[in-house]
Amino acid sequence: MKLEIMEHKLDAASVAITLNGVVNIHTAMQLRRRLKLLLDDQYKEIRVDLGRVSFIDSAGIATLVEGLQWSRGGGRRFVLSGLSENVRDIFELAKLDTVFDIESGKLSA
Amino acid sequence: MAELNSSSQLSCTLNSACDCVHVLSSMVEVMSRRAGLNDRETNRVVLAVDELFANIGQHGYRGKEGSIEMQAEYDGRSLRFEFRDYAPPLMDEGTLQGKLMDTGQVRPGGLGLYLIDTIMDEVRHQTLDDGNRWSLTKHLQEGTGE
Repeated sequence: MKLEIMEHKLDAASVAITLNGVVNIHTAMQLRRRLKLLLDDQYKEIRVDLGRVSFIDSAGIATLVEGLQWSRGGGRRFVLSGLSENVRDIFELAKLDTVFDIESGKLSA
Repeated sequence: MAELNSSSQLSCTLNSACDCVHVLSSMVEVMSRRAGLNDRETNRVVLAVDELFANIGQHGYRGKEGSIEMQAEYDGRSLRFEFRDYAPPLMDEGTLQGKLMDTGQVRPGGLGLYLIDTIMDEVRHQTLDDGNRWSLTKHLQEGTGE
């Protein structure tokens, strides 16, 4: 199972990544590395489009939590968008839907 | 690898170290739909089984190769998944308790166990002389798919 990560620089202060595939124990490290690189780039806002994510497990969610923690620690905004019904349901089950800044719809990158 | 015993039973043996969770997920999805679960409940049960498989592989076998046997079956009242592994015991007898968490407490394994415990109606663990037996049960409610 694969995860494709596409990056779009929105402006000097913000960047978006679009995830396509499965975010699970096998692909979460790939996402973690990419998020770390984006944080090193000192963007003020990081947006993650999950519109093409068919499945996410606890490893994937934990990685996004890390991204959120890193972002907030540096005074950045970390936004999720495009969650399918099933992916949003898992965030709700984990009681993390109110912790993240989640926007409806896909990002217009 | 997979054996279809009847329309209400399915069994397979998987390698804990391989990226074959999609095979397991497909089997769980088939059984969940046959049992009458709706899309949301099916997705949840697929996640719960995925999490247990990942936990056995990561924390039981510590990322090394190991055998995980799975048997799935349903009747009119419940959908049950039984796992047998040959890894050292992961936890004390009979304990599998999810813990509520905030963003500062998410840690490997913890969120997965919490999700399993939240999704399934019964979660049982038995320590054996040479491994572990796990049982995940989802109660079926007639007509609602939940």
